[in-house]
Amino acid sequence: MKIVDCTSRSVREINEAIRRLVDAGEPEMLVRNPGARHNLAVAVLKDVAITIDGPVGYYAGGMSDGVRLTIQGSAGWGVAECMLSGTVVVDGNAGNGAAASIRGGTVVVRGDAAARAGIAMKGGLLVIGGDTGYMTGFMMQRGRIIVCGNAGPALADSMYEGIVFVGGEIAELGNDAVISEASPEELAEIGATLTGYRLKGPGSFRKVVSGRKLWNYDKKEIDIWKAAF
Amino acid sequence: MEGRVLTTLRPSQIYRPEVMEDIQLKAELGRYLFRGFGTLRARPLPSFDDLTFIPCSLTRIPLEGYRERCSTKTVLGTRFAKRPIQLDIPVMITGMSWGALSYNAKVALAKGARWAGSSTTTGDGGMLPAEREHSRVLVYEVLPSRYGMSVHDLRAADAIELTVGQGAKPGTGGVLLGSKVSQEIAAARELPPGVDQRSPARHPDWLGPDDMIIKIEELREATDWQVPIFVKLGATRVYDDVKLAAKAGADVIVVDGMEGGTAASPEILQDHTGIPTLAAVSEASRGLQDVGLYGQVQLIIAGGIRSGVDAAKALALGADAVYIGTAALIALNCNRPIFVEDYHALGTEPYACHHCHTGRCPVGITTQDPELTKRLPIEEAAERVANFMHAMTLEIQMLARACGKADVHHLEPEDLRALTLEAAAITGIPLVGTSYVPGRSGAH
Repeated sequence: MKIVDCTSRSVREINEAIRRLVDAGEPEMLVRNPGARHNLAVAVLKDVAITIDGPVGYYAGGMSDGVRLTIQGSAGWGVAECMLSGTVVVDGNAGNGAAASIRGGTVVVRGDAAARAGIAMKGGLLVIGGDTGYMTGFMMQRGRIIVCGNAGPALADSMYEGIVFVGGEIAELGNDAVISEASPEELAEIGATLTGYRLKGPGSFRKVVSGRKLWNYDKKEIDIWKAAF
Repeated sequence: MEGRVLTTLRPSQIYRPEVMEDIQLKAELGRYLFRGFGTLRARPLPSFDDLTFIPCSLTRIPLEGYRERCSTKTVLGTRFAKRPIQLDIPVMITGMSWGALSYNAKVALAKGARWAGSSTTTGDGGMLPAEREHSRVLVYEVLPSRYGMSVHDLRAADAIELTVGQGAKPGTGGVLLGSKVSQEIAAARELPPGVDQRSPARHPDWLGPDDMIIKIEELREATDWQVPIFVKLGATRVYDDVKLAAKAGADVIVVDGMEGGTAASPEILQDHTGIPTLAAVSEASRGLQDVGLYGQVQLIIAGGIRSGVDAAKALALGADAVYIGTAALIALNCNRPIFVEDYHALGTEPYACHHCHTGRCPVGITTQDPELTKRLPIEEAAERVANFMHAMTLEIQMLARACGKADVHHLEPEDLRALTLEAAAITGIPLVGTSYVPGRSGAH
């Protein structure tokens, strides 16, 4: 396996080294000593396995399409943001806005996720092995979030068509978020997903969807609108 | 007075007819009002009309106004990008989304800008393939909503514009009411068809200027440091915001004044937020000078630029280029007195229409209705846009030559005088007939 050592190198030099290996057709590579640098492995556009052997800063794996990225540590803000396809796995915790605005692919955070995980997701899947913070799934348009632990306040606020499954406690539902019945098929799929990533979830999950009362301005829903704004 | 019949009407100056209608509409709807176009404030804003050029006479020598060479070449993004954008003229088309605008309007703008030797910009709905195909220079907007955001489109662009705010509604995102969220638009934005789409104001993955430094680095890494990164600001605390954006690593800063247009936004934001473009360009220029980056970071000014005269004044005050939006739509046909019965159906008239938010644009520009869209034939519309941009350029050159400049970018504050005390105070340009600038001593 090819190795990219980050020691004494700038982000530009590291990403150029990664891109050279990707362009040369290397199927996998190990990025060593990341030192929590920001913007590592952004815009990787091929199906290639990249392992980073430590913590990363903001936007690791951001704007990617096809990458299989494993971060053996924690990630800063916006991990995998705007990803189109591929898989990003964070072995530790993730900062604000994990999987923000992804349109496809899968992001797995084995630990806890901070505020606004899955904000504005437009597709894809976000799996959180631990707890998740404030406003998880805010303005989520499509896709799914699976939270094995507890969810912070304002969960799934102002969603369009996203779905959030929570295994633990929900501190508070966000505006226009409602509890719905998860089907046996959905629960089976969650189980299979967690098994696939060697995660242990609780025995049951609650499903949160949009109440669709904020989809269109309507004076009959005036109390909801006042709360929303 | 009591008991007498008044012979003259004495309408309230506080509760004017439009104020009463506004209250009655809100009483009916139970919400704030939306509309398109831009501010319709009755009270005039300080504007470029408050300045006049003082061309050459004995103290300076003019160029022949109709024939001598006067360069309009414009280069943007010289600070960090490997490929700065090269334009023939300093007039560019601003970001307007496919969704707010029809397909025909977007493609006509792309073609028209190309024919004029300039650029166009995507908008809050992603990049149309036809827009890329027909643009020579295409600026790709990265907005808080990230609708249709694709790394492939990002890498196909000639410049990236990281949008922090817009002049028509700084601090708030735009709106696309359900009537315009067609199946096609909904699919492009990954939204349910027919929703009243409200775009966010904050980016999902960064907040303040410290984060923006990292976001700009990410955009550069994603594009291999090839293309310029613009940062677009709605004009509010411009002096400080411009300094922060420049320090954060922007190649180009766009400042959009409160006269900027919108296809749909709450009316109160259009009329009561932000600062006028005249003030915005003055503050922006000072900001760049005070951080020592004037000339290194290019400045684009937007918001109600209607003519080459406005553009030339903006250049003289420190801008490197201007964006046009509403003026380009008017060149397309916006508010033209054709299909008049459809203006009437909207309760308006040609030259007074601001009903972009309804999706029932009588001239096929701000609509997703296929039948209305057909009213804007692309080739003819593109030619009008190119003609208008060309006319603007000739106007800028005309003024530059009169001021003795062989390059429109050599226009400078000394070429201007203020017609009002207000404009003198805002711009630091002396009041006509004096050397007086409010707040400065030593006038004569």
